[in-house]
Amino acid sequence: MISVKNLSHSYSHDDKLAVNNISFEIEKGETFGFLGPSGAGKSTTQGILTGLLKQQEGEVIVAGYNVKKVQNERFNKIGVSFEQSNVYSKLTAKENLDYYAKLFDVPTRDSMELLHLVGLDGKENDRAGEFSKGMKHRLTFARSMLNNPELWFLDEPTTGLDPAIAATIKDIIREQAAKGTTSFLTTHNMYIADELCDRVAFIIDGEIKLIDTPKNLKLQYGRKLIDIEYIENGKVVKETLKTVTEEDRRRIGEIVNNHDIQTMHSKEATLEEIFIQVTGRELV
Amino acid sequence: MLSKIFKVFSRELKTARRDSMAILIIVMPVLFAFGITLFTPGLNDTTVNIALLESDDKSHIEYLEQFAKVEIFENREDVLTRVNKRDDMAAIMQKGDGYEIILQGNEPEIVEGYAKALNALYEIGANKEETTAAMYSFGHTVSPLKTMLVNMLISMTIMLSGMLIAISIVGEKADNTINAINVTPVSQTSFVIGKSMMGGLIAMVSIIISLFITGYYDINWFMIILVGLTSLILSLVVGFVQGLASDDVIEAAANVKMIMIPIAGSIVGYELLADKWQWTMYWSPFYWAYKANKLVLTKTADWPTILLCTGMVLVLSLVVYFLAKPKIREGLS
Ligand SMILES: Nc1ncnc2c1ncn2[C@@H]1O[C@H](COP(=O)(O)OP(=O)(O)OP(=O)(O)O)[C@@H](O)[C@H]1O
Ligand SMILES: [Mg+2]
Repeated sequence: MISVKNLSHSYSHDDKLAVNNISFEIEKGETFGFLGPSGAGKSTTQGILTGLLKQQEGEVIVAGYNVKKVQNERFNKIGVSFEQSNVYSKLTAKENLDYYAKLFDVPTRDSMELLHLVGLDGKENDRAGEFSKGMKHRLTFARSMLNNPELWFLDEPTTGLDPAIAATIKDIIREQAAKGTTSFLTTHNMYIADELCDRVAFIIDGEIKLIDTPKNLKLQYGRKLIDIEYIENGKVVKETLKTVTEEDRRRIGEIVNNHDIQTMHSKEATLEEIFIQVTGRELV
Repeated sequence: MLSKIFKVFSRELKTARRDSMAILIIVMPVLFAFGITLFTPGLNDTTVNIALLESDDKSHIEYLEQFAKVEIFENREDVLTRVNKRDDMAAIMQKGDGYEIILQGNEPEIVEGYAKALNALYEIGANKEETTAAMYSFGHTVSPLKTMLVNMLISMTIMLSGMLIAISIVGEKADNTINAINVTPVSQTSFVIGKSMMGGLIAMVSIIISLFITGYYDINWFMIILVGLTSLILSLVVGFVQGLASDDVIEAAANVKMIMIPIAGSIVGYELLADKWQWTMYWSPFYWAYKANKLVLTKTADWPTILLCTGMVLVLSLVVYFLAKPKIREGLS
C-alpha cells in the first residue's frame, strides 16, 4: 500500500535533514506505527506521503500513485486525520462533514452516523467554532473516515483527549483495521502503538532505527525485568534490573543478601522502555 | 470539475453570509448607491420632456426632437393635461407669430431655461452642429457628477470583491482548512475558481443593483458586465495575495484597500489630465475600466472602444496574475 525508498527531506533545502534516507513498506491491511519523540520527523514523513509537502529525494508510492505526480483522484482512497484539528469554524459539525463529503467522487458515509460514532451526536447543528479542542479533534477524526478510505493517515489520533474518548477512538481504529483498512499511525505514545499496531518503526532525528512487530520487540529486547525496593541507610531505594544479564543477576543476589527487601516485582518491559534501550533516548 | 467548483462556491457563500465583515462589504455598495440617489436628486433625469401640438411646424418638431424628448398631442387641452401631470414637462405652442412656453410651475428652473433656450435657438435658426456641445450633452445625458460617483462606486465594488476573497483566505488560514481540502480530489484550480466566483458574483450583483438604484436602466448591460468581469480579475488576484500574506481580517482588509490608491489615481488622471497626457495612465487597468464604464454610463460607448478598453484591462490584469501565480500556488499548498 505504501512503499518508501531512500526518502530524505530538508525544509531549508540544504544538508539539514528533517527526514534522512528512510525506507519502509506497508502491506495492505496493516496498521503501521510511526513512533518517535517530538521533532523526530513523523509529521514531515506523513506530510510527504499525503502530498502536502513536496517530495524531494527518494521514491514514494502511496496507494499505487507516485506522490511526485499531482493526481488528486488518489485522495478518493485516502483519509487523513490531522494532528491539529482543522474544520471550518463558521460551519456546523454536520455542515463540515456534508461539505467535505461532496468533494469526493466515491460513495461517502452518512455524516450523522459518523458524528454518533465519535460521540458528537446532539452537537450536529452547533458551529465548530464553538467546539472545545477535543470536540474539534473528534470532528477532524470523523471527517477522515467519510470516504471509506483504503488508506488512513492518523497523526496523533488520541493525543489530548480524555481517556474515555481516547478509548472510543482506539476502538474505532481497531474496527477499521478489522475491516481491512491500512493505517499509517503517527504517535509518540507507545501504549497506543503497542495496542493498535501490527508493526512499528522507531524514528529519531529523521532516521528509522528499527522496524518490527511489538511482539518481536518485546521478545528480543524486553526480557523480564525486576523492580526491587529495599532499605539502605534507613532510606527506601528502588532499582530496575534485567533477569538476563550476568551483571544484573549478581546485583539482585547482592541486594537480597545484604538488605531488607520492601517489595519485589517482576514485569514485562514496555515498548517505551524498549525504545529507550534501542535509541538511548526518552520519548517526550 | 464544474460540480466541485460549484460546491466550493456554495460553501463560500454560506460562510460569507455568516461573517459580519463580509456582510458589511456586501451591503456597502448598495448603501452608497442609495446615498448617491438621495444626495443628487434632480440630477436623476435632466432630459427635458416637451409637449407639442400635432399642428405645429414639422421643422419645429424635428428640431426639438434632436435635443429633447418630444411628445405630440392633438389639441391644446391634451397638452395642458399632460403638463399638469407630476413629472417635469414643458409645453411649447404657437401663439401668434411666436411661441409660448407653458409650465406647471413646480419644474426645476433648469427645465424652463432649457425649453426657452431651445426654442430661442430654433427661432434664430441654429442647427445641431452649430449648437455648443455643452448644450447637447445637457439635454441628452445624466449629470456628469452623478455618472462620476456611480463609476467610482463600480470601482469600489470591484475592489470589495478582492476583500471578500482575502477575508475568506484568512479564515481558511485561521482554521487551517486549506490542508484538509488539499487531501481531497478537489484540485487547487477548482478551489481558486470556486472562491473567485463568490467574490465575482457578489460584486457583479452589487453593481447591477447599484445601477438600478441610481437609475441607469437603459444602458448597455452586456458592456457593463463585460467590463465588470474583466476588471474583477485584478481585484481577485490582489485578494488572494493579500489574504495569504495577512494574519487577520483587519490586516487583510487594510492591505486590499491599498489598491484604492491606483484606482483613485486612475480616476483623477482620467477626469483631470488633458488629452495629450492621457497616455500617462495607460499602464493602469483601472484607468481603462473607468473609461469604459464612463462611456457605457453616458451611452456613448461603441463596441470597438469597449473591446479595446476591456482588452487592455485583461492584458494588464493577466500580467499581474502571472506574476502572482507562483506565490498563490505556494501559499495554497
Ligand atoms: N515547516 C517547517 N519548517 C522548517 N522546519 C520544520 C518545519 N516543520 C518541521 N520542521 C523541522 O523538522 C523536524 C521534524 O519535524 P516534525 O514535525 O516532522 O516532527 P514530529 O516527529 O512530527 O514531532 P511532533 O511529535 O512534535 O509532532 C524538526 O526538527 C522540526 O523543527
Ligand atoms: Mg508531528
